Amino acid sequence: MDGEEDPQLQDKKKKHDTESAADLERVTDYAEEKEINLRDVGDVLANLGQTVNAQQAARERELAQVKISKEDVELIMSEMEITKIKAERVLRENKGNVVQALVTLVNS
Amino acid sequence: MPTSQPLPPKEKNLFNRILKCYEQKQYRNGLKFAKQILSNPKFSEHGETLAMKGLTLNCTGKKEEAYELVKRGLKNDLKSHVCWHVYGLLQRSDKKYDEAIKCYRNALRWDKDNLHILRDLSMLQVHMRDLEGYRETRYKLLQLKPGQRASWIGYAISNHLLKDYTVAFKVLEEFGKTQQSQDAPYELGELLLYQNNVLREAENYQEALNHLEENKSKIVDKQFWLETKADLLLSLGKETEAEKIITDLLYRNPENHRYYQQLEAVLKPENEEERLQVYESVARVFPKADSPQLLPLTFTTGEKFKQLVDKLMRHQLKRGVPPLYTSLKPLYKDPAKVKVIEGLMEGYIENLEKSSKFAESDTTDEPPTTLLWARFYMAQHFDALKQHEKALNIIEQSLEHTPTLIELHAMKAKILKHLGDTAGAMASMDEAQSLDTADRFINCKCASYMIRNGMISEAEETASKFTRENVSVEEYLREMQCMWYEIECATSYAKSGQYGNALKKCHEVDRHFTEIIEDQFDFHQYCMRKMTLRAYVKMLKLEDSLRSHSFYFQAARIAIQVYLHLHDEPYKAGGGVTNDQDATMSSAELKKLRNKQRRQERKKAAAEEKRKQEQEKSGKRSRQQQQKNQKNEDEADAKKDVEFDPEKLASVADPLEQATKFLVPLQLHCSKRFDTHLFAFQIAERRGKLLVMLRSLLRCDELADAGDRAELHVCKVRFAKKVRDANGVASAVSDVISQFMPKLFGDVEIENFNLKFLEESKKSLLHLFAGCRSMHHLDNGRKEQATDMLLRYDDGPDNIPTLQTCEAILDSLKQKEFGELAEATMLQIREKFRAWHPRACVFAAAPEPVEEEPVLNGIDEHSNETQESGDSAVKTSKPHRKSEVSDQKNNNNNHSAETSALIENHCSHGD
Repeated sequence: MDGEEDPQLQDKKKKHDTESAADLERVTDYAEEKEINLRDVGDVLANLGQTVNAQQAARERELAQVKISKEDVELIMSEMEITKIKAERVLRENKGNVVQALVTLVNS
Repeated sequence: MPTSQPLPPKEKNLFNRILKCYEQKQYRNGLKFAKQILSNPKFSEHGETLAMKGLTLNCTGKKEEAYELVKRGLKNDLKSHVCWHVYGLLQRSDKKYDEAIKCYRNALRWDKDNLHILRDLSMLQVHMRDLEGYRETRYKLLQLKPGQRASWIGYAISNHLLKDYTVAFKVLEEFGKTQQSQDAPYELGELLLYQNNVLREAENYQEALNHLEENKSKIVDKQFWLETKADLLLSLGKETEAEKIITDLLYRNPENHRYYQQLEAVLKPENEEERLQVYESVARVFPKADSPQLLPLTFTTGEKFKQLVDKLMRHQLKRGVPPLYTSLKPLYKDPAKVKVIEGLMEGYIENLEKSSKFAESDTTDEPPTTLLWARFYMAQHFDALKQHEKALNIIEQSLEHTPTLIELHAMKAKILKHLGDTAGAMASMDEAQSLDTADRFINCKCASYMIRNGMISEAEETASKFTRENVSVEEYLREMQCMWYEIECATSYAKSGQYGNALKKCHEVDRHFTEIIEDQFDFHQYCMRKMTLRAYVKMLKLEDSLRSHSFYFQAARIAIQVYLHLHDEPYKAGGGVTNDQDATMSSAELKKLRNKQRRQERKKAAAEEKRKQEQEKSGKRSRQQQQKNQKNEDEADAKKDVEFDPEKLASVADPLEQATKFLVPLQLHCSKRFDTHLFAFQIAERRGKLLVMLRSLLRCDELADAGDRAELHVCKVRFAKKVRDANGVASAVSDVISQFMPKLFGDVEIENFNLKFLEESKKSLLHLFAGCRSMHHLDNGRKEQATDMLLRYDDGPDNIPTLQTCEAILDSLKQKEFGELAEATMLQIREKFRAWHPRACVFAAAPEPVEEEPVLNGIDEHSNETQESGDSAVKTSKPHRKSEVSDQKNNNNNHSAETSALIENHCSHGD
């Protein structure tokens, strides 16, 4: 048994190898889409209006109005090693107070 | 069609055949048709055909040619949606997803309602988790093609992923009306269960329950139907009804522990006895089920526990169930239960030895195997209690009777491993492996023990018994994503200072994770077609947190530590050994090591050569088969990635950036682990980012257990010193720091803070060492004092430091934690560690020098004994030379034998 394996076992293994490879291959095969009964889709879709969170939008607007200094953003970016978008966001959320913003980040 | 180069009907027909061939993966034929069009001088620069030819070539592995053709095609016909689409597909296959999305968008500009392009776009969007974009695209597809199943399902899934459950449910509901159960009953059942899933996630339990009932007859997965119903009834507080369902489920499978938990939740037993009755009633119906016997052991106490565990252990020992210990392991959290088990087991063994009976009052005799399994259990028991020598004795005793039982050898190996005797452990595991070479589990174990003993090439040889022929072991295991193997190798390489190789293995593990994430791509379409939506959504969630897997954590840990080391001591090219190591190594040793490396390389080259020859041979033999496999091979070639180069990895210019890359997933997925934040601290410290250090320190402080406190203390002191020494810190930053200082240090100066810590750490070497490191960090002049404190550590019987602690300390001293130490001091420390762990190879003295080494040089050798113990192990790799190993070991240990005996006594009394 040692070293030289049972040839049958080998065959089986090989077969298994190719079979599972073939199965995997089949995953990406092309398949024609099946058609279903055509229905009036307009009705259904009309009822499914997508909701926009009004509250969230108001908060965004409020944040956008906060004045922030460029130096503070840069300090936060370099000290906490985060992106500009994130740094600005935190600074805005803390009403432009750089120390407060940093404390928030250190605590997060 | 907005193409600027319309084809006449005949060529148009050929072109459509190219498309068909591409879809059906008949790449050869596709190329033939492309050639037919392009060979006509009128159409030799036809953009769309060129692009399609490129795309087809890409699938046969000719990437560069493909890019060239596709770009040329696009240049010739910039207004063709086909060309843009093809360029997108090419980029996608190259994993440039953002680029691919841009191409798709361009394609849609020329043909905004093209279904193919929209579908491909949607798949990339869900793959990149641009869920809003995904929903938009799916919405469009549904509008354009309401006659297709995928349109409905895709739109529903997109809403589900965005947690818009109402829309998801309604879409599924509308779609469900068109489905007939006789067409594909399983698919409809899956659809309904998925719909139910949406309701449950929206916490609409009542509605979900009604939905489940209404569709009972259409759902094929009955077990899941029952389980879901039980969950829903429990969530709704309908316990009487739930009980009935759970009983049904128990009848289906009395070994599912979850059902028992639910049964208890319904019946609400008030005390131990009532609780036990629940299980006894199940046990009466299913006398052969294990779970109702096993689970009560977790909550019963005292006499009752003794009675139950006695019954269970006797039964299983009689039947010879090797994993009895594994079943009882959860009970080892409770010392009282451990004591009961130990008492019972000792009783059995005593009686079995005397009279082949469990107890003297028994009437039936037990077969001798019962005693064997009882001893086997006892060895595991003592090993778990860290009384390794006792465990070893029992195993040796059993092996005398039954020298051919694999489990005994494997257990012996495990015990020796716990004692630090990696060479002995390996020999035992090799013995076990040789007893049944067809057992893959034991083969893997053996390979892993060999790697731990620093013998990777031997491990490869062992593993090769199960790997495919004609492929190198390393390559095969990489292809199989065999991560335990790669992590073991990385650990071993890192330990022996082969940083490039260690990093290579870590990056390979990381790449496996990337591959697994990329592999999900094929399933976006497949799962929709097959309607396996529950599994699909589950898969998406799994992929999102894939790197929380412990294999990733282990690989990241090694990589980060190596990169930190490379930052502190940059790699200098040459020979695979850092110069730092060269310096501490005597020339003879260096020669030996180099020779060993050269030998290994030669061996590898020879193996490679042999492999190639064999491949050629087999190639001639089965040309035909090869042709059949051509397609697969072509694809394999296309997928083959560039290999990592250890030399390059070790000599990166920005090790900290590299370390951060490994850290980010840990911060995302393993934020509850102490080590994650420790690594973050260590990286930030080297980058001089005080606030990031502070942040990590606070997280560490929250998560540290008793053992972690040692490392935490070192970090605190380093931070405080860095703050004290820092100049030109922005005022905002120092403001923030001063807000947190009292929380971390109280009002004490760092020096006093450390003194206090040292005072409290007299009973733990791990913590004492942390204190010493901090002291040395604060004042470089105090290295004598630091080593003195280590040497004076009070080794009372209860305070023997663990093997891991000692190893870590020795490692860190060798990494010059206290700068250069006198050789005599190192020797003393090692002696001390060896007295505690006499069998551990790492603390063993080097064997007598064999070559031209002068005896005096012996001391020099001690400073890098890892290398030496590796070498000594090489000599004893073959099992039949085992006697030699033990002889050698005995020699090494002679002068410490007395001490070790003393320690052993301590150990056994201590426990």
